[in-house]
Amino acid sequence: MKPGMRHKLARLPFEEKILKVGELIRLSRRVKARRVREASSNYPQSGFHNPKSS
Amino acid sequence: MSDEFSTIPLADVLRAANELVSAGLIEDYALGGALAAIYYVEPFTTYDADIVFVATDKTLSAGIPAIYSHLQSKGWRVEREHLMVNDFPVHFLAASGLTEEAVRHAKAIVYEGVLAKVFRPEYIIAIAAGVGRHKDLARIEQLMTQTKIDNALLDDILRRHNLRLPNS
Repeated sequence: MKPGMRHKLARLPFEEKILKVGELIRLSRRVKARRVREASSNYPQSGFHNPKSS
Repeated sequence: MSDEFSTIPLADVLRAANELVSAGLIEDYALGGALAAIYYVEPFTTYDADIVFVATDKTLSAGIPAIYSHLQSKGWRVEREHLMVNDFPVHFLAASGLTEEAVRHAKAIVYEGVLAKVFRPEYIIAIAAGVGRHKDLARIEQLMTQTKIDNALLDDILRRHNLRLPNS
């Protein structure tokens, strides 16, 4: 991300930043869940088990 | 650990900390850790809140059992080392030395109508310099570039606590 954009985000009101942190957390969990699903389907015989997908 | 919270319930956390002060269970507190840094810099991912408190109870337990039972009576859950509010993990950390000074000099804020305090950036930097993990060094860099730092204050804190910034 460009420094100008980072500075702009830094100047947002705290309440707005906290909402964005919540969005980042949700996004990172979605990405993680997708990776786990993909790993699980790519290696079905590996014994890899995703408890959240069952 | 459950991870189903949809938004960070920071106002609830701060309200609860204010109640602990009113109940005399803690003397003072401030928001520390990543969320304190985010007050000054761009938002980044963090998965818990750190409430750093000055204990009323000066014994070794720092009054933590009473804090836990008070919050549990308000519906908070205990999950490993965290207290959970709306499934969001919160660390209650007893202040001492540098962190106690950070609480006493914290900046007063209002968050969603709740009065609270947040560590000043100079103290966040000093604490991060003392811990020195990769993420602490990244936090120092963010604070140095994204917010106004009182360099005289920072130098004074670092000198008194025998700390150094990385690469200095």
